[in-house]
Amino acid sequence: MEWVIPPPCSPPTAPTCPLEEASLNGSGIQQRRATGPTTWMSMMRRRTPVHELHVMVDEVYMLSVFEESVEYHSVLSLERLPDPQRTHVMWATSKDFGMSGLRFGTLYTENQDVATAVSSLCRYHGLSGLLQYQMAQLLRDRDWINQVYLPENRARLKAAHVYVSGELRALGIPFVSRGAGFFIWVDLRKECEEEALWVIMCASVKYNIRGPALIPRMKTKHRIYYITLFSIVLLGLIATGVFQFWPHSIESSSDWSVQKRSIRDVPVVRLPADSPVPERGDLSCRMHTCFDVYRCGFNPKNKIKVYIYSLKKYVDDAGVPVSSTISQEYNELLTAVSDSDYYTEDITRACLFIPSIDLLNQNALRVKETAQALAQLSRWDRGTNHLLFNMLPGGPPDYNTALDVPRDRALLAGGGFSTWTYRQGYDVSIPVYSPLSAEVELPEKGPGPRRYFLLSSQMALHPEYREELAALQARHGEAALVLDKCTNLSEGIPAARKRCHKHQVFDYPQVLQEATFCVVLRGARLGQAVLSDVLRAGCVPVIIADSYILPFSEVLDWKRASVAVPEEKMSDVYSILQSIPQRQIEEMQRQARWFWEAYFQSIKAIALATLQIINDRIYPYAAISYEDWNDPPSVKWGSVSNPLFLPLIPPQSQGFTAIVLTYDRVESLFRVITEVSKVPSLSKLLVVWNNQNKNPPEDSLWPKIRVPLKVVRTAENKLSNRFFPYDEIETEAVLAIDDDIIMLTSDELQFGYEVWREFPDRLVGYPGRLHLWDHEMNKWKYESEWTNEVSMVLTGAAFYHKYFNYLYTYKMPGDIKNWVDAHMNCEDIAMNFLVANVTGKAVIKVTPRKKFKCPECTAIDGLSLDQTHMVERSECINKFASVFGTMPLKVVEHRADPVLYKDDFPEKLKSFPNIGSL
Amino acid sequence: MQSWRWKSLWLALLASWLLVLLGVFPLLRLAVPTRPRAGVPQGWPHWLDAELLQSFAKPGELLEDGPQPPQALRGGSCNWGACFDTSKCRGGGLKVFVYPAAGPVSETHRRILASIEGSRYHTLSAAEACLLLLLSPDTPTGECDPVPPQWDGGRNHLVLSLHPAPCPRTFQLGQAMVAGASPTVDTFRPGFDVALPLLPEAHPLRGGVPGQLRQHSPRPGVALLALAEDRGRWHVAGTDFSACPWDGRCEQDRGPKQTHPGATLPNATFCLIPGRSPDALHFLQALQAGCIPVLLSPRWQLPFSEVIDWTKAAIVADERLPLQVLTALQEMPLTRVLALRQQTQFLWDAYFSSVEKVIHTTLEIIQDRIFGASAHPSLLWNSPPGAILALPTFSPSPSDFPFYHLQQGSRPLGRFSALIWGGAPGQPPLKLIQAVAGSQHCAQILVLWSSEKPPPTRWPKTAVPLTVIDGHRKVSDRFFPYSAISTDAILSLDAHSSLSTSEVDFAFVVWQSFPERMVGFLTWSHFWDEARGGWGYTAKRTNEFSMVLTSAAFYHRYYHTLFTHSLPKALRTLADEAPTCVDVLMNFLVASVTKLPPIKVPYGMWHQEARPPPLEPGGPGLTQEPQPAAHNCINQMAAGFGHMPLVSSRLRLDPVLFKDPVSVLRKKYRSLEKP
Repeated sequence: MEWVIPPPCSPPTAPTCPLEEASLNGSGIQQRRATGPTTWMSMMRRRTPVHELHVMVDEVYMLSVFEESVEYHSVLSLERLPDPQRTHVMWATSKDFGMSGLRFGTLYTENQDVATAVSSLCRYHGLSGLLQYQMAQLLRDRDWINQVYLPENRARLKAAHVYVSGELRALGIPFVSRGAGFFIWVDLRKECEEEALWVIMCASVKYNIRGPALIPRMKTKHRIYYITLFSIVLLGLIATGVFQFWPHSIESSSDWSVQKRSIRDVPVVRLPADSPVPERGDLSCRMHTCFDVYRCGFNPKNKIKVYIYSLKKYVDDAGVPVSSTISQEYNELLTAVSDSDYYTEDITRACLFIPSIDLLNQNALRVKETAQALAQLSRWDRGTNHLLFNMLPGGPPDYNTALDVPRDRALLAGGGFSTWTYRQGYDVSIPVYSPLSAEVELPEKGPGPRRYFLLSSQMALHPEYREELAALQARHGEAALVLDKCTNLSEGIPAARKRCHKHQVFDYPQVLQEATFCVVLRGARLGQAVLSDVLRAGCVPVIIADSYILPFSEVLDWKRASVAVPEEKMSDVYSILQSIPQRQIEEMQRQARWFWEAYFQSIKAIALATLQIINDRIYPYAAISYEDWNDPPSVKWGSVSNPLFLPLIPPQSQGFTAIVLTYDRVESLFRVITEVSKVPSLSKLLVVWNNQNKNPPEDSLWPKIRVPLKVVRTAENKLSNRFFPYDEIETEAVLAIDDDIIMLTSDELQFGYEVWREFPDRLVGYPGRLHLWDHEMNKWKYESEWTNEVSMVLTGAAFYHKYFNYLYTYKMPGDIKNWVDAHMNCEDIAMNFLVANVTGKAVIKVTPRKKFKCPECTAIDGLSLDQTHMVERSECINKFASVFGTMPLKVVEHRADPVLYKDDFPEKLKSFPNIGSL
Repeated sequence: MQSWRWKSLWLALLASWLLVLLGVFPLLRLAVPTRPRAGVPQGWPHWLDAELLQSFAKPGELLEDGPQPPQALRGGSCNWGACFDTSKCRGGGLKVFVYPAAGPVSETHRRILASIEGSRYHTLSAAEACLLLLLSPDTPTGECDPVPPQWDGGRNHLVLSLHPAPCPRTFQLGQAMVAGASPTVDTFRPGFDVALPLLPEAHPLRGGVPGQLRQHSPRPGVALLALAEDRGRWHVAGTDFSACPWDGRCEQDRGPKQTHPGATLPNATFCLIPGRSPDALHFLQALQAGCIPVLLSPRWQLPFSEVIDWTKAAIVADERLPLQVLTALQEMPLTRVLALRQQTQFLWDAYFSSVEKVIHTTLEIIQDRIFGASAHPSLLWNSPPGAILALPTFSPSPSDFPFYHLQQGSRPLGRFSALIWGGAPGQPPLKLIQAVAGSQHCAQILVLWSSEKPPPTRWPKTAVPLTVIDGHRKVSDRFFPYSAISTDAILSLDAHSSLSTSEVDFAFVVWQSFPERMVGFLTWSHFWDEARGGWGYTAKRTNEFSMVLTSAAFYHRYYHTLFTHSLPKALRTLADEAPTCVDVLMNFLVASVTKLPPIKVPYGMWHQEARPPPLEPGGPGLTQEPQPAAHNCINQMAAGFGHMPLVSSRLRLDPVLFKDPVSVLRKKYRSLEKP
């Protein structure tokens, strides 16, 4: 058990020089600080066992002992620590490696509580990743440390020490020194009296002429002189303070926050013709090679910080602009990033940098000059951690599938990547934004038949493709529709909003809603804006573009929303599509629309999805799941994901822990304990003593049983205490049992455990209950009658997985827990709701019904008959159903019995003969 | 004396002036009229003239970028659309031809070949195959393969090498797909190549060891971390914190060190695996042990990453931040740990535990590419029972399978079809038909007539439609997915079965709660026979059971599809030869899918007396001991599956008020209580 923690934040209070000293703190304080390399051993032996004190051994000078006569012994070199639970050893690099500012140290302890407490401190004093890496590198190089560094360090320390002590000796100044580190305790009291140089120092400690010997006594003349001097210094200080702090408040009140600025006012930057050009993109880049993850640091929120460079206008030597300053979309994109949680203004804390140079459309910029503009960004550093957005890459004639601007290691969020240019796991594939998304209203169209089966709406298609499409239309007539540019549109109608087939004119994108499948073919570029329109119309895209990396394909499951057809198979497209069943088509249509709504709808959606993908790579342990990315909200609502989904029957040898909640019915409790302890699979018994006014009986009074018995005292009399995930619970199975349930036989309990093993994700209990819908009152009703159905089991006697204790205590929705504690009722109903809601499964009732009553109390059944009790329980059900927003309980008609229960079979051959006896 | 005094006076004056000046500067700054400070933006500015900004592209540019001809094939680089010809696969899906090995081959190699030959993909003719499979030799002595005869530039070829190839390839891979163990990220072609796991030398061929996880949640006090060491060993770090998070170098570690000898499985919650290629071996070990793999910047492609969502079972972290990873692991919520652990086990059992599974998964992935839109949805790959056992040919929608009702928020249809298998001469089973048709949940009755004699012409009149299907007299035919079956639930019956309506009703209601399991009335239990050194089973009434007889059982119709399309032919032939075997086989199949026992519901003892003695010797008798041949059958099944999938149960599900001391009038299933 050894790990690296930062040293505590408080400044060192005790003297840090290695004097032989042990300062005793006041009584009652358990912490001792012992320094010095030699005497701790005797000290520990002497003191710790008597006073039960903790000993902290600071071995910070461990490696700096230069005196050959002194041999260093670490406390850990002992064969056995005198009291391992109370001995803690610290070491840090500050002294031995001369790195005081780096705050890097270790604590060795075997005490779990101390370790936990200190490790939680790490949360607030995390070491930077950079430092971790450097220290790892440094400490790993043991040859260098042992053979080069340490001897040299000691030699230098010794030389310095010899020199200083020699000088002091010559001056006759008394001092104390030790053979480690560079510390000399000098006694200057004598000098202070005479040498005025020390006076300021001494006076700043305390000015008092009648003070003890340390404060100098001076002549009156001198005194006035020094008082004046001191006053001047003091005045200066005050003036500084006033001027430093005063004006700030004025400044902040001025109208800074609102920036009323125009694009035309942005500063102009002239790029010399010979300014450096970054290298071309490195195709082998991956997150762990080209991305500097140290900049992202440890972050409790697991969010990267993104910085945006301020806007500049770049011109070349001749004053010709490199590109248009910024496009509307890029401005929107940067605004979205700036408004998001990712944004930071502090360039030094940023993990990702977004240049404000607009690269969305390669046609609109000059490649080489833009690259030069990138290279002169203040944190460019070969493009490390820079994110560039591009939607239209390449240019005629060969149209590259990635941005042509040399960008070195910068990440590229590009529209239209092909498998050859896309760096898997490094680049992000984004959609090409369709401006129609904002221009046109297009409400969602419900499922149902659509007029055309297949539609092509793209205007500029290669003749070869167009021929294929025309052939398709010829073969399938009305079902296929191939649209083209309109040739004879009257003035004023935007060509982008109309499509024609022969002489028929269609509105675009509305016509897409008339089709089941819509073709998305490659154009000059692989990424096409039409994909966004098609998704929006709820038309299933048929993607015919080999090697195209679909937008956000790293996280989105495109198989659920689209059909990919190889270019070679274009002639078969119709038959391929026809083989898809109608139900699947409807599913895909819904999925397509959901993708558009979540990730294509606006520039903001595109930008945030891109950042989320990068964020998930950097903080993989907090990444968003497949379901979160892909499931539309309606599916997320209806589905249940069982936390114990693995079909697994736990081994019987594990056994179960019985938890008995009790208040003060000691006699009944002891009977329950004796009964339960007869169950063969019981492995531990835990009594939750819920009475704060009374102590549990003495140890000797408890019944003697074969398994460990532990009593937990609670701080407050709450019913939730029964469901607390106590550390003492070591088994997965938990038996919750009331202190008055004495009527269950050992066979019944053992059988209950066996049943739980077959259904470890359910509540397995004895008395069953039912919820019913009361049609007259229009609300739920609690039912404890003898019915043919069960939907709940009482936790007065029930087996369940201990994970549900964790869920009950930490993940219970709404204020149910408080409600239960306030009403002192319904904790079992709450548990039933919780388990049913999270697993979607019904309870299992075991064994026949019996009268649950105990001699001296009116327990469950006695109470249940009480009318007010029933009303209260009904109220609970209604309250919980409203908190959960649904009724999660499932009604079943079966219960579990042993295989041969009540069969015509010799009783003594049955495994559980003693079941159902009253 | 004088000089030092002056000196110090000057010093003090200078210092104070310096301070005053420092203080005055902000004042001066105030006095001068201020201009906006350009260097400190408050977020991205809202431009006054933002409306005037141009769009990033003109509409024409977006709609009409110049037409481009279909892409010509680029040398060396391949992707699915360009380098694989799916036209050959149109008919029967994926048909695989395996090149016979040239020269002597190792035993493993031979058995791999045999396992492919026994699978549903195999074809004997290279001409009709859609995929040609070339197995890389796995022994250093094996001859380096010459170019195979139908090579054709590697088109539609899959080069499968379970272990890194011992000799350099003599020919260019060309357009062939490569399925290799732990390929490096740089050479891997996503969507074309297949990444296989790096298997240990002694990986079982069939069946395989099940996952080591015995409980859902980590045991308290189990080590947090295990670190991968050389030669498949693990170093289990202390109970809570790691001694040496980086590189697995722990020489100076003084803590209690427990290095397991040889290649044993780590016992910890998380397994730290460095990213170097040889460490890929540790990955499978961790999966098997149920230890969540934490991969530090892996340089190799994760196995089957095309279909498996590894974020659900492993954590890929950056090796440069060991302490952050450690903190993140320590603070990971219990819910996530639980889910990750279970997923490792599911994936191990479904895809990795045997060589056969690895090869089937590879072929299944390629078949999914051919199927395109009707491939396995991601859910089928990533939740139990996994894609090999959930056939997409059954239905495109996961909600039709019995396994995903919870995830999909769906439920099985509320009716059942009774499927009566009969061929016995004599009268049609009138009583049985009436009892079944009397159930309110019955949707139809299908009679599968499998006798030489023609079926009776007259059948009783029933409230539900009755259809007679002429069977093929093979016993395995009773589990054929007949298109006439219109409901999710099937009640499988023999002509001489005897049931009452309320038994049927109750059993069906129970089945609705457990649609993925078999719900039956009569049971058998299996046991390990020490004397014979093999498995045996008995029909005696005991305190537990592991099989239900299909002569009266409810199950999901999906199992018909699975029985017919996924079981190896050899096993089905075996069942045809020994009729009792078919029950065993069906139970094996369902148990290997669900990993859970079947469910027993009450069955009145009076049936037994009314029941005619079984006609066929060795037929499914109620109290009779199965014949020795039947014992043989269970052992052959276990060998065919590679392990014993059956699980025993000790409970029976009864109606809630079954035989309780209340008025019979209160009870819903009264007739079940007849003595």
